Amino acid sequence: MTMTGSTKSSRTIDGNVTPWWVRYFDPSDRALAVLLLAPAAVLLAMIIVYPVCRLIYTSFFNLSLTSGLPAEFVGFENFQFMLEDPVFWQTTGNTVLITFVTVPGALVVGLALALMANLPFRRQWPVRLSLLIPWALPLSFAGLIFAWFFHSEYGVVNDVLGRFGVEPIIWFNSPQWAMAAICLTIIWKTSSFMALIILAGLQTIPRSLYEAADVDGAGRIRQFFEITLPLLKPSIVVALIFRTITALQTFDIPYMMTNGGPGTSTATLAMYIHQNTVSFLDLGYGSALAVVMFALSMCVTAVYLRMIRTKG
Amino acid sequence: MASVSFRKLGKSYGALQIVKNIDLQIADKEFVVLVGPSGCGKSTTLRMLAGLEPISSGEVVIGDRVVNDLAPRERDIAMVFQDYALYPHKTVYENMAFSLKVRGVSVEETRSRIAEAAQMLGITQLLDRRPSQLSGGQRQRVAMGRAIVRRPKVFLFDEPLSNLDAKLRGEVRTEIKKLHQQIGTTIIYVTHDQVEAMTLADRIVILRGGDIEQVGTPDEVYNQPASVFVGGFVGSPAMNFTKGRVEGQRVVLTPTDSLPLEGARHSGALADGRELVVGIRPEHFVPAVADVPRLDGQVLVVEPLGSDTLVHFRLGDATLTARMPPDVRPTPGQQMSFGVDPSKIHLFDAATERAIV
Repeated sequence: MTMTGSTKSSRTIDGNVTPWWVRYFDPSDRALAVLLLAPAAVLLAMIIVYPVCRLIYTSFFNLSLTSGLPAEFVGFENFQFMLEDPVFWQTTGNTVLITFVTVPGALVVGLALALMANLPFRRQWPVRLSLLIPWALPLSFAGLIFAWFFHSEYGVVNDVLGRFGVEPIIWFNSPQWAMAAICLTIIWKTSSFMALIILAGLQTIPRSLYEAADVDGAGRIRQFFEITLPLLKPSIVVALIFRTITALQTFDIPYMMTNGGPGTSTATLAMYIHQNTVSFLDLGYGSALAVVMFALSMCVTAVYLRMIRTKG
Repeated sequence: MASVSFRKLGKSYGALQIVKNIDLQIADKEFVVLVGPSGCGKSTTLRMLAGLEPISSGEVVIGDRVVNDLAPRERDIAMVFQDYALYPHKTVYENMAFSLKVRGVSVEETRSRIAEAAQMLGITQLLDRRPSQLSGGQRQRVAMGRAIVRRPKVFLFDEPLSNLDAKLRGEVRTEIKKLHQQIGTTIIYVTHDQVEAMTLADRIVILRGGDIEQVGTPDEVYNQPASVFVGGFVGSPAMNFTKGRVEGQRVVLTPTDSLPLEGARHSGALADGRELVVGIRPEHFVPAVADVPRLDGQVLVVEPLGSDTLVHFRLGDATLTARMPPDVRPTPGQQMSFGVDPSKIHLFDAATERAIV
């Protein structure tokens, strides 16, 4: 046992002096906890805290690598410019639209897929594998594949529609059809991720609850709404958090399918950030745009976390 | 309320037969316990009755209706599950009200039935809680309440006390018995615990390997076990068994120990030389006094229980247990005589292991 004191060495009850370094490295002390947490804290600081702080810092500067001028502090000028920038509003609108369409879309499709995968198939692995494949595909690869699917002349989608007497659609010439194609692709790509999380949730629901409901007289539909859905809520909220945040950062699929076209009608905020920082090398404005996206993601996460806490 | 019948009821998974053509009649208002070791088919039988398991062969009849092709909800049964199967996101009230809501029972009627059942089970103060806020015993009561409010023809209990500690198990067991006395509905109860079976049942069905080994009242299965298996399964500590051979009017257990056959439960003469299994319950040993047949053995272990003393002793190649009065405290290693009441000796055929009657 050690005694606390302001001196570098301290005296124990039996009169022995404990050197200061023993006190600091005493395994029973709080110092041990700090030591154990330190690597993780340092790592987090390096890869998250510092970049975010640096991003916010840069957003207050006029920093264009093409101008050859030194960085100039401009305060909120980048943000003011953003408010008057029609492309910012369009790309933000597109991002919000994609989020509002693809997140519920992926949830519904993912839920259906998870329910299907949870059926007592004799062989489970082909079902699970078919769920994993879309998730495992790189986003840009999925975008490329679906760009061909929606090709106006050679695409499988127009071919199938044609068999039902539908005139070929020139998907990527119209902002609406292009956005529809992008949203469908994102739903296909992301619903398997939703399905995997929901499937994990489904498998935690004891079978005896359904048997009790069977005996209680509830049919399949009632069981779904009275048992399955309420018990899946935590899994669904987790899936929604991940999916919404990634939806707000949508980049690869529209980039590969339309490159934001026609015009900027399908460009997203992430693409606009990329354009400003990588193509135009305007790091100041690009950082300001990224700060807005970061704030948007934080708000959504806060809302979902509040939902979880309320449910808990 | 209704009677229940199993007619040649069978269940197979491929070539593996779990339940082997069971025939059983359960009377209206009867409390029947299906008991047996793990894998004997008791839960499968109950689940076939509930409609939760497809029937491979035979018929299940509730009342006068064959229910093989009816869904569980159409069988008018209520079931208490081993893990209670309470809906975790619903309150106790909502759990109990669920089946009534599904069946379109009015809100007033639902409220009154739940109040009545809650009062009967002493869970009125728990109605607003969720299952996670309840103890094991309380959850068990809620599961019973959920079954009671249905007012079904038949109650099914699938090992409902398995998850409770010994003290609570005793308490809830008493409540289940009281419940049956109050509502008088047919109850079919599955357990692997012979004490539960003996204390609760009007009749006990002992299953082994998917077959019925014996059906009888608790007294019958205790006093007249149909086989070595039943004799060993019912009673605690278990019945002692040792091999014997008929010689004259006695059964010889060791070169120096034999017991008279007069008084033992069998009819007719037993041929000399017939090989037997002799069963004696620990509680049927008595202190060796004059005129009482006795067995002499070497004491191995002594277990004082307060109310009585268990003495484990060696007789030939067998180790037997005797329940003796509490003041009997032999020393391990000593030779001791144990008196046996001949009328309490059970004789089984050595080859078939069935009782000789």
